[in-house]
Amino acid sequence: MNEQLSIAEPQGSAAGPRELHIEFSASGSEYFRIWIVNLLLIIVTLGLYLPFAKARRLSYFYSNTLVDGQALAFHGNPWKMFRGFVLLAVLMLVYGVSGQISPTAGVAAFLILAAVWPALWRAGLQFRLANTSWRGLRFAFTGDLRQAYLAMLPAYLPAAVIVVVSLLNGEALESKSFTPAQGLIGAATLLIMLLSPWTLSLSKRYQQSHYALAGQHSRFGVGTGAFYLLMLKFTLFLIGYALLAGAVLAGVYFLLQAPLLMPPLALLAYLGLFALVGPFLTVAMQNMVWRGTSSAGLRFDSQLRLRAFAWLNLKNWLLTALTLGLYRPFAVVHANRMRLEAVSLRVNGDIDAWVARKSAEHQDASGDAAGDFFGIDMGF
Amino acid sequence: MNQPAILPLELFDGHSARPQPVQAWVEAGTLRLRTAEGQVLSYPLRRVRWPERQRHGQRQAQLPDGAVLSAVDASAWDDWARASGIADSMTVRWMQSWRLVTAAMLLLVLSLAAGWRWGIPWSAGAVVALLPAEAEQQIGSQAMQSFDTRWFKPSALAPSRQQAIAADFAALLSAGGRPTPAYQLHFRSAGKELGPNALALPGGHIVLTDALAELLADQPDALAGVLAHELGHVQQRHGLRMVVQAGLLASMAGLVVGDFSAVLVGIPTVLGQQAYSRKFEREADAYARELLRSGARSPTAMLVFFERIESYKKDHSAPTLPIALASHPANEERKRFFGAAP
Repeated sequence: MNEQLSIAEPQGSAAGPRELHIEFSASGSEYFRIWIVNLLLIIVTLGLYLPFAKARRLSYFYSNTLVDGQALAFHGNPWKMFRGFVLLAVLMLVYGVSGQISPTAGVAAFLILAAVWPALWRAGLQFRLANTSWRGLRFAFTGDLRQAYLAMLPAYLPAAVIVVVSLLNGEALESKSFTPAQGLIGAATLLIMLLSPWTLSLSKRYQQSHYALAGQHSRFGVGTGAFYLLMLKFTLFLIGYALLAGAVLAGVYFLLQAPLLMPPLALLAYLGLFALVGPFLTVAMQNMVWRGTSSAGLRFDSQLRLRAFAWLNLKNWLLTALTLGLYRPFAVVHANRMRLEAVSLRVNGDIDAWVARKSAEHQDASGDAAGDFFGIDMGF
Repeated sequence: MNQPAILPLELFDGHSARPQPVQAWVEAGTLRLRTAEGQVLSYPLRRVRWPERQRHGQRQAQLPDGAVLSAVDASAWDDWARASGIADSMTVRWMQSWRLVTAAMLLLVLSLAAGWRWGIPWSAGAVVALLPAEAEQQIGSQAMQSFDTRWFKPSALAPSRQQAIAADFAALLSAGGRPTPAYQLHFRSAGKELGPNALALPGGHIVLTDALAELLADQPDALAGVLAHELGHVQQRHGLRMVVQAGLLASMAGLVVGDFSAVLVGIPTVLGQQAYSRKFEREADAYARELLRSGARSPTAMLVFFERIESYKKDHSAPTLPIALASHPANEERKRFFGAAP
């Protein structure tokens, strides 16, 4: 596969805009072997090997992600990722256990987790970007802490209402008659649903408008309205799917009088949910987000096709279930290939002339001190 | 000494996106790069982060000064690295061999099975043993409260009847003359979902539903046997162990198929959990049989309980789950267990 690749020779600044293609050259059978050995090491070390396995997986995927013929490189130090992993694991464990022991402890743990989560999110983005390079140039994430908190706040406030009320007022919720606590939770849930396109747009905007490479700083040109429109389409699609599935099931039940067909058909409808409805959102979101991302000299495009991706997803899901999970590494490679190769970049000017950001060379190469010390990597 | 192998490569210096052609070779524990201008850069081998050998992808070595040495032709790199004495790590050799990967797969299945059979129950036992008694009390009374609001109404049994049942059970325990764990017996009325039932919660709470007390109204020994079974759960702290085991089992399943599908995690978790539950039921049955024997009552009294429960289920057309999904062993097996007694 590699033999076909040649390095794109610099075409000079006079060449005008140029299209950069992404190629994903990983193979399912090779990733299968990496995955099995990683998994065995994770299980026998009771999970402690996880960050090392993750570093190996990322290195493999990066070295197979060729942008204009040049692979990405992952520079993350697994021992630093181990520290971040331990920090996150302790946080989650404390959160999980405290809710079991007493409601007040649960609320306290939730508030602590909620307070640090945006900081962790940002540290994760910083770590991942600072440890990714292309043509020897490190990426950077330039979003600041205040913006991270602002981006998460609208999602947080109603969620905090739900958690605090349900942990402190469990009995009122379980009673059969209507209580103010139930009303409060219902209102907060409705608010979360109505705000979700906005909160989604805030978090995407925070991410997509703070990537940097060399002198290029990303901008995000998709407004909140577009997110509302997309979620509306998604909701209509979901309703349409539910109506169709319901009509088919009812038809079989009443017209054909074949109750035996019901369980397999219901299962099929359920599978369709993963194969069709999930991919609808993935495809629409990826295309919208990457088409809206650009920088002074770069413009992204994404042409992920729903039909192809849904079909691939269905195949992946079925084969993974049939092989009791053994097909999973193949599924991951195939889905990644389709999603990555749908993206292309249009570049203005001469990439060879790009140089690392002067001011940032030292600071950003090592990332934010805390984020780098803990090597927090939550994945995207 | 042989001439070192030389490979033409591209160097990205970390400042500019422009690749520089270099000639690379290894000598005396040092990686040397000769640039087009004839300058020679040197890096100690152990400070270079070498790529792992794979069949696909490009090779990139990360140099300590932030530069990246890149090879588009992976197989040329691999030949050069081998000739230069840069060895693969053990893990890489392992991942490159299908034979070793197959062995790893078998080992993986064996360790998952061993984790399920011994590892998880053992660690759950250890975790529960570390848990302070106050915490268990707290969890137990919280669970009891939640059951009370969700499922139970106060019992409609006459107080004298309640006292008689409690006294008969206490008599069985003292007749055995052995130390038994502290417990609290609660009488509750429950809806159709629970039917004739008894359950044990953490912290020694044992609940008997009115329906079961009525079903076994003429069978005090069977009723005492059922309560003894629940006391078995209390004595072995099955409630808490189950919570921990379920959590550990879900984490194990999550490690294997986790980020792919939550539904796929659910299937092995539910199956494995129900198998644990059946094991606990057997242990509680054994405890009940011991108590009945040492209290000079016949374990066969329990046979009436199973028969009545079966006919109750038939009358109320309650479904019988396939054994892999059931929380209790099959009634036939349990009847044999109690009936086999002399």
